[in-house]
Amino acid sequence: MSIIELKNVTYQYPLDSEAIIKEIDLSIENGKVYGLIGNNQAGKTTLCNIMRGFIPEMFLGELTGTVMYKEKAIQQYNIGALAAEIGYSSQNPFTQISGVKDTVEEEIAYGMENIGISPEIMEQKVQELIELFKLEELKEKNPFELSGGQKQRVALASIVALDPEVVILDEPTSQLDPQSTEEIFEIIAMLKKQGKTIIVVEHKVDLLAEYCDEIVLLEDGRIVKNGSAHQVLSDPDILEHGGALPQVSLFYLKHLKQNTSVPITMAEAIRKLMGGVSQ
Amino acid sequence: MSILTLENVSFSYPNGFEATRNVSAEFQLGEAVAIIGQNGAGKTTTVKLMNGLLRPTQGRVLIDEKETNSLTTAQMAKRVGYVFQNPDDQIFQDSIEKEIAFGPKKQKLDASIVQTRVQEAAEACGLENVLQEHPYNLPYSKRKFITIAAVMAMDPEVVILDEPTAGQDRESTELLGGLIKSLTKKNKTVITITHDMEFVTKEFHRVLVFAEKKLQKEGTPREIFWDEELLQRSALKQPYICQLANALGYQEVMTMDELEKRITA
Amino acid sequence: MANPIDKWYPSTKLMIVLTVIIVSMFSTIPLVQYVLFGFAILLSLCSGKIGRFLNTFFKSIFVIVLFIFLVQVFIVKNDDSQPIWWFIGYSQIGLDTSIGLASRIVAISSIIIWFFQVTSVKDIVAALEKARIPKKVTFVISATIQLVPQMTKLSQTITDAQRARGIETEGSVLVRMKAFIPMMGPLVLTSIQQTDERVLTLEARGFSAPIRKTAYYSMKKTALDYMIVIACLLGLIAYFVGGPL
Repeated sequence: MSIIELKNVTYQYPLDSEAIIKEIDLSIENGKVYGLIGNNQAGKTTLCNIMRGFIPEMFLGELTGTVMYKEKAIQQYNIGALAAEIGYSSQNPFTQISGVKDTVEEEIAYGMENIGISPEIMEQKVQELIELFKLEELKEKNPFELSGGQKQRVALASIVALDPEVVILDEPTSQLDPQSTEEIFEIIAMLKKQGKTIIVVEHKVDLLAEYCDEIVLLEDGRIVKNGSAHQVLSDPDILEHGGALPQVSLFYLKHLKQNTSVPITMAEAIRKLMGGVSQ
Repeated sequence: MSILTLENVSFSYPNGFEATRNVSAEFQLGEAVAIIGQNGAGKTTTVKLMNGLLRPTQGRVLIDEKETNSLTTAQMAKRVGYVFQNPDDQIFQDSIEKEIAFGPKKQKLDASIVQTRVQEAAEACGLENVLQEHPYNLPYSKRKFITIAAVMAMDPEVVILDEPTAGQDRESTELLGGLIKSLTKKNKTVITITHDMEFVTKEFHRVLVFAEKKLQKEGTPREIFWDEELLQRSALKQPYICQLANALGYQEVMTMDELEKRITA
Repeated sequence: MANPIDKWYPSTKLMIVLTVIIVSMFSTIPLVQYVLFGFAILLSLCSGKIGRFLNTFFKSIFVIVLFIFLVQVFIVKNDDSQPIWWFIGYSQIGLDTSIGLASRIVAISSIIIWFFQVTSVKDIVAALEKARIPKKVTFVISATIQLVPQMTKLSQTITDAQRARGIETEGSVLVRMKAFIPMMGPLVLTSIQQTDERVLTLEARGFSAPIRKTAYYSMKKTALDYMIVIACLLGLIAYFVGGPL
């Protein structure tokens, strides 16, 4: 079942001379983890905004084509109510903080207040999320006093609090150190187990290889590759289109000069190579 | 003769919070040094001590073997440039050219020298074709290069880059690598805070590891990334190729070439 | 270690403030004003805020009162002004006027200072929400209050960033004025840009969802609150019936 469906979507920002998203067809299936990759001007953030319904509701400019959420046009949903269905966190941690709450606990509860969750459930959920995102020491602090990485964790906790079906994350680990990055991906895996659909924009393809089911490569506003993680992240062609390959695939392709059944994760590579190079 | 020396420096905030303790390190001209470690381990604090943004509560910072406690931050900035993580905290001119020229102009240099500096810095950062554009016409990741160019144009002996790779795509990361090489070729010292271990292996010959607010160890990438006890203590992981080599039983491997040789041998 | 007065409902504390202001406005003898001032000090003591109270009081009101005193006594011309030098003269009427005026200012401002020391913005917002003030209004209040520390932090970061590229910020007033422009540009632009992005974040938290909002933190009125309000009303009635002093 396609939970989000884009058909022939083209979008141009008002002050731009050309469209940033061009004729995109994309079908997001329920329950899968999608990795969205590509160069920084490829239109990944714009695509996220479209899938969340922010474009064209909150932006000017022309959007042509159809964007469906649960088989209904996304413009028909109230933009705020949609927060309970599609979670969204963007790149800049400094703007992920609402600015109206002065403790981390309240920040996490803020979204739930807006969608009318009862205080008892809010209290419980806030405590659960603080534990899950390891925010115990920070729970009384003002969100503005946190570091960039801490802000990102709080922002993520705040959107998971709304229990959405789809979660869109735009570069959630750009400010985090390697350990915190792993922790975020572990949370992504946990959300997938809960049956959610996740779309994550990332440059760290080695981690995407481990956690994603599907990879979408965007270049110049068009989808140039769209397939299973295995297909896309073992295809050397993506290097010509702004994509990056996981280190192990790169090694296999360029150094061992093998281009069939290329491993994309560390575990696969180890298994293959233990069994002998010719495998 | 070290261009920059940290002599047993420590820093604590006025409220008593200790950010870094007993750090000693020397930096020579022409070095490319990476500083790695978990967030909160004291990397940024230590690096801010290097150009006077923070003053050590203990110990000394020497530039060219001379004391710096009588210099203002702006004066130290002439010799130790610092590129902040968020370019939007620094950009304030309405054209990229003016932004890059600001530093050298302030140094009261001859107009032709300013021109040359701007041109060279812009070329090194891939900005030579957009000099007349407004900085905000460029996307965030390209704006990072504007601030790097602005600091380069001041021609300091030491350039500190604070997480330049965060959020950058492959193309920009490669450009950054080229930039670091060209700086060290000009005998500049480049000190970079980064979390990208592959980038560290590729571009740096010296690594400082921070954990628990102290400098734990320094060495070549090979020495650092094959010290398992150190990595565990500092909550760091090996670069992926090292992990692969390790799992296959090949020690001390740093590059794909080396791993290939070992496997096919 | 929270003081029990912190937990009084905001409208209760507001009632106390209003009672004091009304009594102060209708009183003509300075003695009443001094008593009210003493009352504010007493409340501050009980709230455990006497240090901060005196600090704020002296920094703000004291200067104003001193100014009024000097102007009324020495500068304003009254019928009984005795010239001392040039335009400066001494006036007994001026002295009386200034004492009357000053004491009233002291009484009213001291109770207001107390109010803001024992009532946090969070409590005021919670009380407004309970009173069914629309969420969008309380949002503007909360966001505005947070704006000051937010911008202060941002300008500190920007100042650091500019120092790091050779812009002097330490030293004479002229030097610091010159540093203002490189600080304003990024501050304004970044703030606007961040506001833009923050609007999306707010919607991502369901800001305009057409659902009745709940509150994570709320306050309750206790019996004590009702008793205090009734006491204030009775006090006011007694004051007017007994004849305003």
